[in-house]
This record gives sequence, structure tokens and C-alpha cells, in this order.
Amino acid sequence: MNKFIITVLGKDRPGIISCISSHLYDLDYNLENANQMVLQNQFAGFFIVEPPSGITLDLMQKTLTEKTRDTGLTIHVNTLEGNGKDFDDPDGEIFLITTIGPDQKGLVARFSSIIAEFNTNIVKLKAVFKGGSDPKANVMSYQVSISRDVDAQAMFKALKKKAGQLNLDVRIQHKNIFDVINKI
Amino acid sequence: MFDDHEIMSTIEMVKNENLDVRAVTLGVNLFDCISHDLSVFKKNIREKIISHAKNLVQVCDTVGEKYGIDVVNKRISLSPIALVGAPFSPDQMVEIAIELNHIAKKVNIDFIGGFSALVEKGMAKGDKALIAALPQALAQTQRICASVNVATTKAGINMDAVLEMSRAIKKTAALTADDDGLGCAKLCVFCNIPQDMPFMAGAYLGVGVADAVINVGVSGPGVVKKAIERNLEKKALTLGQIAEIIKRTACKVTRVGELIGREVADNLGIKFGVVDLSLAPTPTVGDSIGEIFQALGLTQIGVPGSTAALAMLNDAVKKGGAFASSHVGGLSGAFIPVSEDLNIANAAHKGYLTIEKLEALTCVCSVGLDMVPVPGDITEECLAGIIADEMAIGMVNAKTTATRIIPVPGKKAGEKVTFGGLLGEARIMNVPHLDLRDSFVKFGGRIPAPIHSLNN
Repeated sequence: MNKFIITVLGKDRPGIISCISSHLYDLDYNLENANQMVLQNQFAGFFIVEPPSGITLDLMQKTLTEKTRDTGLTIHVNTLEGNGKDFDDPDGEIFLITTIGPDQKGLVARFSSIIAEFNTNIVKLKAVFKGGSDPKANVMSYQVSISRDVDAQAMFKALKKKAGQLNLDVRIQHKNIFDVINKI
Repeated sequence: MFDDHEIMSTIEMVKNENLDVRAVTLGVNLFDCISHDLSVFKKNIREKIISHAKNLVQVCDTVGEKYGIDVVNKRISLSPIALVGAPFSPDQMVEIAIELNHIAKKVNIDFIGGFSALVEKGMAKGDKALIAALPQALAQTQRICASVNVATTKAGINMDAVLEMSRAIKKTAALTADDDGLGCAKLCVFCNIPQDMPFMAGAYLGVGVADAVINVGVSGPGVVKKAIERNLEKKALTLGQIAEIIKRTACKVTRVGELIGREVADNLGIKFGVVDLSLAPTPTVGDSIGEIFQALGLTQIGVPGSTAALAMLNDAVKKGGAFASSHVGGLSGAFIPVSEDLNIANAAHKGYLTIEKLEALTCVCSVGLDMVPVPGDITEECLAGIIADEMAIGMVNAKTTATRIIPVPGKKAGEKVTFGGLLGEARIMNVPHLDLRDSFVKFGGRIPAPIHSLNN
């Protein structure tokens, strides 16, 4: 059975999750996964569903768009590619790369391109650039999964060099240190 | 995965609150190196220590880099030399110390401990030779740490040994007079010495442990202080709530120490031993036990209320650490070394902390009168009396106590003394009645063990 991924975008407010999930329930779609995030005041939600038999992608897009016509939400439906499993390297080790320092254009592009050059997957990215002098106001945090065949030291060296050029304080630490300090 | 607060608070602990692993100490058993021939013994200990320790520094640095946590000190502790070198004379003991000093340089570690004797119930031939060798051994080496256990709760206090150690300290100070008695900064006198302690100068490897073992000493006074301050900024707290914050913080710090210690041990193919929960300061602003007292609303360590505050701090650290690790050992408590903690040294200089109050504080914490510079003209009787008093606190309370007192030759109370590096600097503390020659310490024999030692 094909699964669909529904992307929901719009200005954040109370009731968005309730609205979408109620419609999915009414339409007899089986909800398998849901996640959401809010960037500044914008809501982004992701729903993976298994529809009843006979429902096509176009029909699903049309139905949901009609049901949410007056909500100000943008709905996009795609077929879920692959088997739905995460990109998962069982031998990969998770490191956190955190930079703190002055906001500049192209920071994410420059750091993520180095990570990509080493064929390393970014598992999670959080970047906040508010400007000003408060160091905590300008932070990038990448959680990356490093495979055994990646030259981690070379990647760390390249990242540190780039951070130095951009006057950023960079910290590269294995995830276990965050586990032992925070996950008690 | 981790949220923003978890990431930033962890980075903050490392970056601004001086969180590190204070010591990874490799213990090496030397009993299989024993020989009646000094050259054979020296060859055996050289080969064994180097075979275990050759990668210690590199592995500690690699693991530290992986987690972004410095392993500040990499050290080695040995089986008591007085036992494994029992056949040798004092001059030969000095040769052993010099050989160990070479080995420490070869494997690039700053201190090697275990030039030690256990004499709480009497002194054997090797013990006497080692104690006689102490002044020359400490004067002719830079990286040797020595300790002598003169008392236990079970055995009482060996007062002959107390007086011998007082004399050895005075002689060591005289032989290292050009460095303000620096040799004494590497010489501890103990009651109830732990056999798995990673911290110098008292670290040695006991006879009941594995052939080689990794013990870890954590740090964290800066982290504890900041945690108290951060929470007090948010709202008023009771002391019970502050103790809870200290406990939670100690738990985190201990888990960091155990994570790194176990990985170092795995990489070296050596058993992991214990985490020592001690809060160990350095002479750096923000890495001080003394500053915790100020965070707790006291003017300086030493003022009324200090003993109660230290009792609470010490207990909370133990509770948090014991929850974090099932293998806790060593000293496990708060250190209050005078010269090694800038804030404590200042409190002593300003008169808030006297030697009598320092002794009172040692009743409720580890480890004792630590890194205390005193006038060089203190009599051996007075010095022995101070040592005996500290041993009595340990004996009766069934806890470790120690003295690391430095009689600074040619200097008086109030004068400045600088030992350098982690050993720090301080003003020489005033010792009342330091010229007395009371006969009490010369009766000799043993002060019997207290009644509660009969606990079987």
C-alpha cells in the first residue's frame, strides 16, 4: 500500500494539529507518524498516512485542500518514497558541531557544504541568527552521523579551519557527553 | 536528540565553568618486579610501567578531544615502594626515586605517586628506609609524589611515625629551601589512606586491586558555583533546595568522569577502577571551592557558618556522585587546599581563614590540612602536634585525613610563597605557638584505636 506524506505550512496558532488530524480521521486515513516545528511564527507539520484503498495522490490533495480552504494553511501531499525508514548508518557515530559567533551571510551554506563533502548526513540542524553581541543569539548546531569510512579528523580540521576564518567558536563533541550530562 | 538548552548548557560547563576531568591515573602493581638486586628491580619497574603507560597521554588526549573535555592531568600510581623495595637501603631508595622520575619523563606524565609507606601499626625495614630517603628523594626529583600512612581507625596513630614524618618534612623543606620548600608539596601524611585514589600527592596503588587499573578524579567547583548562582538569580531558595542543586550537578560531573575514564581504560585494555568524586580546585578564578562559599552567602571561607556550609556541600557532592557511579572511591569529597585555590589563599591572607578553622573544616570534608605553607622555623614538635591532631580527626571519624604542610625556610607568617602551576601561591599562614617544644609527641608508641573500631 502506498503511503503519503502531507506537509502543512502556515502561520502558527492554536488548533492546526487538531484541524489536520480531525480531517484525516474523518477521511479514515491511518496516521503513522507526525512531527511539527515552529520557526519564528511559522508552523511546519509533517504527517505520514496510509490512506484507504482506492485513494489517489491527486484525490487526496484535492480533498484536503478543500477542507482547509479557509484556514490559511498550505497543504502539499507527496507519495512517500522508499520504505519509509530513516537514513540509518548502524556504524555511524553522532557528533554535535556547534558554532557560536557573529552572524554572517552564508554560514549554514559554508558549514553544510564541508559536511556534505565528507559524505556525512546531518541528522538535525538548528540555526538561530538574531544578530547583536550576545553569543547565544547566533548559534548553529549540527547533529551529524559520521560513518566509519569517513575521515572524521580531516572533516573536523576543515570545520575548525573554516570557523577560524569566520571568527566563530566551534565545538565538536561526541553525543555521549550530552547524554551523560543531560539524560539522567 | 538534544534540545537547545541541553546543548548550550553543556558547552557552557566546558567553556566558561572549567568543567574538565582533573586526573586520569594509571595504577600499576609492582609486586612482580621485586628483586634483591637494585639494578634488576629498576629494570623490572621501568619495563612494566612503560609497557602499561606508553600510550596513556596520547589516549587521554584523544578521548578528551572526542568529547571536548580536557583530561588535565595524566598520572601514574604505584604499589608502595616501601613494600616492593623492602630490601633496599635509604640511598638505594633515593636511586629508585630517581629512576621513577626518569620513567615519568619518558612517558610524559607530570607526577608519579607511590613513593609510599604504610606504617600505622609499626615501621618495617623498608618503611624506615623509605622515610629516611624522603628528603633526598624529593629534593633530587621533580615528578615523584610521596605519602606515608601513619594512622587508621583500626590501628590507632603511630606516634613514632608522626614524629619521624615531622622531621622528614623539615629536612625536605631545608633541602628544597631555594624553591620555598617545594619538596614538601609532594609529601602527604595520611590517616586511613585510600588505596585507589587518583589525586596526587597521595595516590598509590593498594595491594588489593588489579595488576593495572584506571582511576579517575573529577573536577567541577566552577560548575557547582555557577549552578548555585544561576538558580539563586531566578528565585529565593532554601538550603535544602541548594543542596539538591549541588547534588544534581555533582551527578552530571561524575558521569562525565566515568564516561571518559571507562573509554580511556577500554582503549588501553586496562580495567576501570573508580571515580573519585572530589571537587578539586585550581588556582584559576572560577575554578575554586572558596568561591562556592561566597555563592552560599558567606563573606569568605573561614567565617562562622563555613563548617556548616562545607558539610552540606561535601554531603551533596557524595550523594550526587554515588547516584551517578556504582564505583566510587578515593577521597570523594571537597578539597580545601590553601595555595591551590586562589580564593582560599586570599581568605587565609585576609585573616578569615586561620589554621585552627582550617582544621575544624577538615572534620567535615576531605582531605585535611592541604598545601598549607607555614613559617620555616616551626619546631618539629609543633609540626608533629599538628599532624597528630589531624590524624586524630581521621581516626575517630573513620575518614581519610591528611596533612601536606610546607614549612617555608627563612620566611615568616604573611610572606608570599609561590609554588607554581597547579600548586599555586599563598601567604604563609600564622601558626600560634610554633616555637613550643612540648614533650607530648615524644612519648612515642601508638595512640590506641578508638572503641568504635571494634565493630566486628
